[in-house]
Amino acid sequence: MSDSNFIRLNERVSAAKRDVEARGETFYPGASRIHLAAFPPKERWDDWVELESRTWPQRSERRYMLVPTTCFNCESACGLLAYVDRDTMGVRKFEGNPEHPGSRGRNCAKGPATINQVTDPDRILSPLKRAGARGEGKWIAATWDEALDDIAARIRRAIVEERENEIMYHVGRPGEDGVTERVLAAWGVDGHNSHTNICSSGGRFGYAAWMGYDRPSPDHANSRVMLLVSSHLEAGHYFNPHAQRVIEGKNGGSKLIVIDVRLSNTATHADYWLPPIPGSEAAVLLAIAQHIISTQRYDREFIRRWWNWEEYLIEERPEEQPAFETFERLLSRMYERYTFEFAERESGIPAATLRAVAEVVASAGTRLSTHTWRSAAAGNLGGWQVSRCLFLLNALLGAVATEGGVYPNAWNKFVPRPIYEPPHPKHWNELTWPQEYPLALNEMSFLLPYLIEDGKRRLEVYFSRVYNPVWTNPNGFAWIDMLTDEAKVGLHVALTPTWSETAFFADYILPMGHASERHDTHSYETHDAQWIGFRQPVLRAARERLGETIHDTREVNPGEVWEENEFWMELSWRIDPDGALGIRKYFESKKRPGTKLGADEYYAHIFEHSVPGLPERAAAEGLQPLEYMRRYGAFEIGRKIGAVHDEPLSNDELAGSEVDALQRVFSDAPAPRGPNVVPQPSPRDPEGRRSVGVVVDGTALRGFPTPSRKLEFYSSTLARWGWREYAVPAYIESHVHPSRLGEDRMVLISTFRLPTQIHTRSANAKWLDEIAHTNPLWIHPDDAMRLGNIATGDLLRVTTESGYFVLRAWVTEGIRPGCVACSHHMGRWRLGETGQRQFSAVVRLDRQGEVWNMERTAGVTPFASADSDTKRIWWTDVGVHQNLTFPVHPDPISGMHCWHQAVTVTRAREGDAYGDISVDAEKARAVYRQWQQLTRPAREHSPDGTRRPYWMLRPLKPLPAVFQLSDPTPHG
Amino acid sequence: MGEVFRALAVLAEPPTVESSSIAHALAIDRAPDARAYTELFMLTLYPYASVYLGADGMLGGEPRDKIAGFWRAIGAVPPQEPDHLAALLGAYASLEDREAEASDPVRRESWSHARRTFLHEHLLSWLPPYLIKISEIAPAYGAWTTLLRDALANAAGCSHVPENVPSHFRDLPALADPRKDGVAAFIASLLAPACSGIILTRPDLRRASHELGLGLRQGERRFALEAMLAQDPPRVLAWLHGETQRWLTLHRASLPIHTAREHWIERTRQTAALLNEVG
Repeated sequence: MSDSNFIRLNERVSAAKRDVEARGETFYPGASRIHLAAFPPKERWDDWVELESRTWPQRSERRYMLVPTTCFNCESACGLLAYVDRDTMGVRKFEGNPEHPGSRGRNCAKGPATINQVTDPDRILSPLKRAGARGEGKWIAATWDEALDDIAARIRRAIVEERENEIMYHVGRPGEDGVTERVLAAWGVDGHNSHTNICSSGGRFGYAAWMGYDRPSPDHANSRVMLLVSSHLEAGHYFNPHAQRVIEGKNGGSKLIVIDVRLSNTATHADYWLPPIPGSEAAVLLAIAQHIISTQRYDREFIRRWWNWEEYLIEERPEEQPAFETFERLLSRMYERYTFEFAERESGIPAATLRAVAEVVASAGTRLSTHTWRSAAAGNLGGWQVSRCLFLLNALLGAVATEGGVYPNAWNKFVPRPIYEPPHPKHWNELTWPQEYPLALNEMSFLLPYLIEDGKRRLEVYFSRVYNPVWTNPNGFAWIDMLTDEAKVGLHVALTPTWSETAFFADYILPMGHASERHDTHSYETHDAQWIGFRQPVLRAARERLGETIHDTREVNPGEVWEENEFWMELSWRIDPDGALGIRKYFESKKRPGTKLGADEYYAHIFEHSVPGLPERAAAEGLQPLEYMRRYGAFEIGRKIGAVHDEPLSNDELAGSEVDALQRVFSDAPAPRGPNVVPQPSPRDPEGRRSVGVVVDGTALRGFPTPSRKLEFYSSTLARWGWREYAVPAYIESHVHPSRLGEDRMVLISTFRLPTQIHTRSANAKWLDEIAHTNPLWIHPDDAMRLGNIATGDLLRVTTESGYFVLRAWVTEGIRPGCVACSHHMGRWRLGETGQRQFSAVVRLDRQGEVWNMERTAGVTPFASADSDTKRIWWTDVGVHQNLTFPVHPDPISGMHCWHQAVTVTRAREGDAYGDISVDAEKARAVYRQWQQLTRPAREHSPDGTRRPYWMLRPLKPLPAVFQLSDPTPHG
Repeated sequence: MGEVFRALAVLAEPPTVESSSIAHALAIDRAPDARAYTELFMLTLYPYASVYLGADGMLGGEPRDKIAGFWRAIGAVPPQEPDHLAALLGAYASLEDREAEASDPVRRESWSHARRTFLHEHLLSWLPPYLIKISEIAPAYGAWTTLLRDALANAAGCSHVPENVPSHFRDLPALADPRKDGVAAFIASLLAPACSGIILTRPDLRRASHELGLGLRQGERRFALEAMLAQDPPRVLAWLHGETQRWLTLHRASLPIHTAREHWIERTRQTAALLNEVG
């Protein structure tokens, strides 16, 4: 063929491709290796044909409708595509959604396993009401109407009688962005209670202290060096979207440094694995910082412009010349004690190794991506300093909001403004925000049993929402104690798709939907972009594609499973049927006033009014915005958001503003109403004017939402609220520091997770349970030898401050000597036959005074059910529930429960059996009292008579007057 | 020419409903169906460069690593199967695109160099004999084969392709001698095209069994060949020698577009000589 003929042929193919793509269709199909696509082309999602695997080798075709939704397991909000069988109109499987900007069509094992959760033969398909005493295990069927009327009447009575603080909603991972917070706001209730203080608030606090925002958004894919303090490839909310970008970074030549006591999956991929003595992580990071400072590798101009060094000098060194050079000199002196030799003494890692790693970090420049979330920040007293010291490295190198660096999460997240925005409550709930912890970033949720007991308070209605505090929280027996006492909890409503240890102690169990059975919008900081994902009841969307109209998601969900949004709307109407309480108006249709708001209108309003670019994009395909989201499941609002802090303020924003001595810009104009309502800290000046920016080198810039409007190397908040010694990034010796451990004690790492499970939410997924279902104790061979030649499989007793548990050993070199580790997720139990059978053991619970004992009476066995696979269950062991034996360890500053345990490990004693657990509640209470002594309460340390710094993030933020300690309104 | 390569790449994938329109765009009358695809690429001639470039004649190994290394060198993430024919043609199309899109002459030259190297190292090194074999056994892919061969010749003719021996062939071991290395090693290297210079498929062995009146053992080719050799060594060796002569003709008749042609001819000649000695 001649050249000219080839050119013509090439043009012919190009023209054909252009024609097809102009119709919004796909020319080159998936699965194809030419562009790594392995997905059905989107124009064929209405009628996708696959061969039926079960009839192999016969070739029979099945036709599917592909409907997108969002995974509801971890918090990454990855996209899924539900394969809806067009013949049966049932979901056959889930795969990745290639249109999703965060997950890009790729999922971890938990995404496809959603089908197991949907078809779990033990799932709860209709409302249940307890028949006997609470916790007795007797249930009768209830109607939704019966349950709603009962719950609504109690809530209404509490509101009318001004007992708003007796209403509490306790949430695990929300999987949505703010809907329920607005429901509570509409009720006028400060009753939001998150699980975050047993999860990530330690990590969050360190970030918030620097930049106001409490989460980082690292750009791993474009980094030169990645420094991770935890095991990102297998655990953490960022599991899949970040894992794929970590690997992209590695493939691009980025060096990976992992600080982790265990040889985690991530550590196995690392160029440098640093297993430190638990609790010494901040010391290691400070030594790296010291190296950067002493070798003058820091980004001097970035620090001069964006650190609040002026405030530090004014507040802490007023005798010094207020010049940047002064600060540099002091900075150098401040950190000179954090030598590599110091870090070696604390961490046990050789100084030479630390020096080599520090050199790698220093070489990253502005392409240093770092991340920590739980891990050390969640394990140790003062763990919040781990994230503070980690971000110090970014701040030193200027790797903040740079390509390959770390962005504040809120710039890479989009929460669309909703249809209604009820005001924040007029009350302060002491059960969640007690005065002893004025700087706690999140609700002191894990102390609830003690706070109720100590304050002689009660809850009228307690919602546990896809959350399992009896199992997940430390000291679970205290939760059982509280939940079984009707004087303390008037009504416990468990909103859950499946059985849990907490649901056993409920009055009502109300079945909620899985990923394919509920509406939510969700956005996450996966990279430097903003996107929203749409979770939807896929059978509703499928039937609507076929021309049906669905008004209530129960019409299409399995059994009587409902979705939460419609549930909350209906409940709110029943609380305030005539609108007299001012609640109903937030749940009324705008199109048809006086009627109930429906899910379609709720989301149509959001997508039409609050998502920039979506209406235009939808129109280009001849769709309404809601139709577009029902079809594709996700939308990217923007990419390369960049350095928002460096943006100049507009003239409108500057109108009427004033600049103070620290160059902060304040305005008393109302905040502009943008479409993105992502939670923002809200610093103000003493007169109550909003902080809007900061003048840097003569230009008014947006800055960071901190009190100084800059990155806060120096936290005036910590200094003024009684913690001056920790106002700059520093090292706090952990409660498991070697100097505090007795001779026979080891550190137990209990927080690590397995890649195929997600807390208790994935327990009803048979594929995942088959892969991972037990949690032996990781122990190093040296320790195994020292403790009496322990071999893998030997029975051990692990004794904590308040009790013990019995499990088997796994001898491995994958853990630092002197430490033991036991994974999360495992040790699920039930009190009888009722419950989730494939992943829970039957136990006997016994209480003698203050001593609780649990013993396993039966492991998992095969059973007959609608799913023939349950007859093939081959595992009997589901692990041991260690968390019951952990007393609470509230960090006095961040409020985080410090998970690491100082334990003794011995061979099991005669009479011990696998799975035995014993706890002395009095000892657990004594540990709580010891930790309580560490606090610096607001009533003694508040600098301005308030309960908490107003500027800090809070899910529901009561009116400013209610922050006053002297405020007379009800406080709990 | 990128789009032609990309479209040809898609036709080396399992057929889909889009295959017809892509074939039509390429002026190919009829896209191969699923049966033809399975017979050719799944069962007979695996479309992976590593099979034809490696010392073992098997999937993966050093050839795949080298190709993956090329992807990384140009800043791309290697796909899971970087040496699959479709991935290679897609990559070549992308390199053409990048070269065409580069406005800076230095960058354009840099992409051009990368494209030519890729063509030399990872396409022209093995595709000519591979396409010869396809045209022999898969009539359904006849038009596709002709077009791909012409496209490669066109690309080679328009480019200054390096004249050195592709790196895959530099350290290849010699064909194993059954007298010194044993029959198993000899058979393994006969079935490694880069060592023997010839491509022996299962249909070829079936043909041999028919022509020689020998039983054909089920299972992998090496077991089948070993079984035939055990039954009648002189006639099987003679048949193999005949194959080398046939391949010498085929190699010599192929377009002289690339230095790899000499490697294939030389290896085939050495194989013929060895078979002659031991036969």
